[in-house]
Amino acid sequence: MTRAIASIAALLVLALPASPGAGTTTGTVSVSVSVAAVAKLTLSGSTVSFPNADPDTVPSITASEGALTIATKARTATGGPVTLTVMAIGDLTSGANIIAASNVSWTATGAGFLPGTLSTAAAQVVGSWIGAGSRTGTQTYQLANSWAYATGTYSTTATYTLTAQ
Amino acid sequence: MRTHGLGVDLTERARRAAEPLGRLAAVSGPFLVLGAVVAGIVFPETPASGQSRTASHSASHSVVARSKLVLSSGSLLFPSADPDTVPEVAATGGALTIQVRATVSAGDPVTLTVVASDDLRSGLDAIPASALHWTGSGPGFAALGTMSAAVPQPVGNWSGSGAWTGLQTYLLTNSWSHPTGTFTTTLLYTLTTP
Repeated sequence: MTRAIASIAALLVLALPASPGAGTTTGTVSVSVSVAAVAKLTLSGSTVSFPNADPDTVPSITASEGALTIATKARTATGGPVTLTVMAIGDLTSGANIIAASNVSWTATGAGFLPGTLSTAAAQVVGSWIGAGSRTGTQTYQLANSWAYATGTYSTTATYTLTAQ
Repeated sequence: MRTHGLGVDLTERARRAAEPLGRLAAVSGPFLVLGAVVAGIVFPETPASGQSRTASHSASHSVVARSKLVLSSGSLLFPSADPDTVPEVAATGGALTIQVRATVSAGDPVTLTVVASDDLRSGLDAIPASALHWTGSGPGFAALGTMSAAVPQPVGNWSGSGAWTGLQTYLLTNSWSHPTGTFTTTLLYTLTTP
C-alpha cells in the first residue's frame, strides 16, 4: 500500500500539465555521472631473465625477454598525480651469495616513463604523469656484469605500484 | 407570442442547464456535444397545438490545440565503472519512458527534442554532453541520438493528433580520461506543436 501511494505521488510530480493552445510543453531530467578514482596496471610479462655472459665482452647484459611493455590507466582529479614505481623485495640471491639489486637498471620509452636503477630500500619512479588517462611505455632491464659475481642462479622479485591521487 | 416567449424561456433554461457542461468543454471538447444533447433531453421544446414554429439550434465544437509530455523519471544516474570492462555505462534506472499526447490539426507536425543545459560538469572539470547518447524505440521515436549542449536533438516526430509512448535508453561513453568527480547537467525536453 505504501509503495502504491509513493508511485502515484511520483507520477503526479512528473506529469507535466497540458499546455493550452499552440506552442511548447517542456520537461527536464537531471543527469548525474559518478567517476571514481581507479588505477590499472598491465605488464606484458612477469619474468625478466639475464643470461650468463662474459663481463669483458658484455659488460651490461640485456634481459633476454627484451623490453617489458607497461600500460597504465588511471582516473584521478584534474591535476592529480599518477605515479608508477618499482622496488625490489631484496637483492638478487643464490643461496648465501648476493648480487646487489642496484646492479639492475633500466631504460625506458614512452611519454612520462623514466630510466632508473633498482633499489631494495626505496621505490624508484618508473613513470610520472598528471591527470587521468591511459599511458603505455616500455622498460628494458640491464644487469651490470662483473667478474666478481659468484656462480649460481640469482633471483629476486620487483614490485610495481601505480598510484593515482 | 406566448409560445414564442415560452420558447425563448426554454432555450434560456436549456442554455443555463447546459452551461456547467459547456464549461467542461474547456477541458475536453467532446463534453460540449454531450452537454447539448443532455440539454435537449431535459428541456424538449414542445410546439403549441395549431401553431407552427421553427427553431434553429447551432452548435459549435471547439477543439483547442494542446500537448502533454510525461517522463517516467526526473533523473538519470550513471555509476562509476571500469572503462575496459564497461565501455558504455547504462543509467541505473534503466530506460526512460516518454509519453507524448497532442491535439493538433490534421497533418500538423508534433516534435519532441532534447538539449543539455551544459556539458556534464564537476567544478571546473567537464565531460562533453556528447558523451551521452541514446537508443530509442516506439513509433515515431528516433532510434539513435547523441546529446548536445548547443543544438536540440530530435527525440521523436509525429504528424497529427495522437498519443505515443516510447523508450529512451541513455548510455554514457566511458573513458579513462574522465577525471574523478560527480558530474551533472540537466536535459530539457521540448514538445512542440504548431
